[in-house]
Amino acid sequence: MVRRMSVAAPCKLKASDYKSGTKPVWCPGCGDFHVLASLTKAIAALALVPENLAVVSGIGCSSRIPAYLNCYGFHGVHGRALPLATGLKVARPDLTVICAGGDGDGFSIGGNHLLHACRRNVDITYVVMDNEIYGMTKGQPSPTTAPDWDSELAPGGTGVSPFHPLVIALASGANFVARTFAGDVKGTTRTLAEAIGHPGFSFVQILSPCVTFRPDQREWKNKVHPPPVTFTTDPAQAARRVMTDDGFNIGVLYKGSRDIYGQAVERNAEFERDLDAEFLV
Amino acid sequence: MSNTGKNASQNFTQTELLVHALVIELEAVQSYKDLAEQMEQCGNTEVAALFDKMSKLEAEHAEKIREAAGDVELTELPPWEYRWPGLEPPENIDLAGVHYLMTPHQALELALENELSAMAFFDAIAHDSTDDQVGSLAQEFGDDERQHVAWMKEWLAKYPPPDDDWDYDPDPPAAID
Ligand SMILES: Cc1ncc(C[n+]2csc(CCOP(=O)(O)OP(=O)(O)O)c2C)c(N)n1
Ligand code: SF4
Repeated sequence: MVRRMSVAAPCKLKASDYKSGTKPVWCPGCGDFHVLASLTKAIAALALVPENLAVVSGIGCSSRIPAYLNCYGFHGVHGRALPLATGLKVARPDLTVICAGGDGDGFSIGGNHLLHACRRNVDITYVVMDNEIYGMTKGQPSPTTAPDWDSELAPGGTGVSPFHPLVIALASGANFVARTFAGDVKGTTRTLAEAIGHPGFSFVQILSPCVTFRPDQREWKNKVHPPPVTFTTDPAQAARRVMTDDGFNIGVLYKGSRDIYGQAVERNAEFERDLDAEFLV
Repeated sequence: MSNTGKNASQNFTQTELLVHALVIELEAVQSYKDLAEQMEQCGNTEVAALFDKMSKLEAEHAEKIREAAGDVELTELPPWEYRWPGLEPPENIDLAGVHYLMTPHQALELALENELSAMAFFDAIAHDSTDDQVGSLAQEFGDDERQHVAWMKEWLAKYPPPDDDWDYDPDPPAAID
């Protein structure tokens, strides 16, 4: 599949032009408001045309985001945002496709799709608003919840090891991997713009506080810090870094240069055509 | 995390200062407007009205900066190129301090914090700039913010501090039926 991104808008739109008239029903203070602000700023900075942009999501508070954007949107089925986004991009390579959702949607029910989306390396950007909880269904632990997080629904904690989404993405072949903090709108905007512009499957984990079920996450703004080193092009090095960090390093971690989905097939087809031509009598 | 350099406040040109000043106000207009809508959604109409009023106040301030710019063309920068000392523009409400049951007093405390950080932002430029024109313009903007700080303090005095159980919700979102 040849890489195609939608052409720039003829007249530059402002970030607010990418917001729809639908007002978010998120709780006041929810980190997802910041993600919406960053995403609209990133797409405005890239001057993407709304009619050539599609945002696909699953189910959850975070997955409501397509409704709040002024572009094509698909509010899909829980955990199935990535197959939908993949299908859309393969069928319509001219569109810029962004997939968005939560840690429950992307790492629990949709966990298997994450592996294969990374592996296929289709040219889409996957944004996970990670609040280490199922926000929409009232605060059940998710795969990124700490094992000792005590709550009414998991008294004493789950005792289960959390999932390392960035390591999984790196091991599975994602071509761009980053972590940001929702409250850092400037940094998140820049990272999202980079992720959208990077060829192949880009994965951005955004630490996005759920102020209602995880009021402790209001403290994240004091915990996040820039990474001590810049991004790497070596996935093994990136994985080692993220396995040993405190979970609050933010920034671009890895930029790869793997063939995007379909590129190798196209090259082979070209080679076969040349070969056929050579032996044509 | 996007951070400014240590001496970032020294290096503003006049146009950059004007652009930053305008964008601070425009961002604040939007941020207060968004918060007003969020509070309205939750039925906290008193705080919604207050945030709406703040949004209008910041819009007036933005207009004043446009007037001060005169013929200088104010072209917005890519969002990641602004040099704020913190994570967000100085006059944007810190979402971590927002609660659906917050009282007007708490909302005004957040607004006061914003005005103080905007004032500190311009004062630092006024103090550090090596360009006299930039310094005196920054001083002017800092004084405007000082005026806003005084208003916020006056407003705050009119609203009583919240009771201890201000966040009591008889039907809390975390309740498990
Ligand atoms: C097939 C299916 N299973 C379960 C649910 C219930 N459900 C809705 S949202 C959700 C989890 C949402 O968590 P997350 O994706 O982390 O999003 P958040 O609400 O935290 O933003 C679940 C389990 C569902 N809608 N569909
Ligand atoms: S429940 Fe949590 S994730 Fe959902 S809107 Fe409220 S704060 Fe955001």
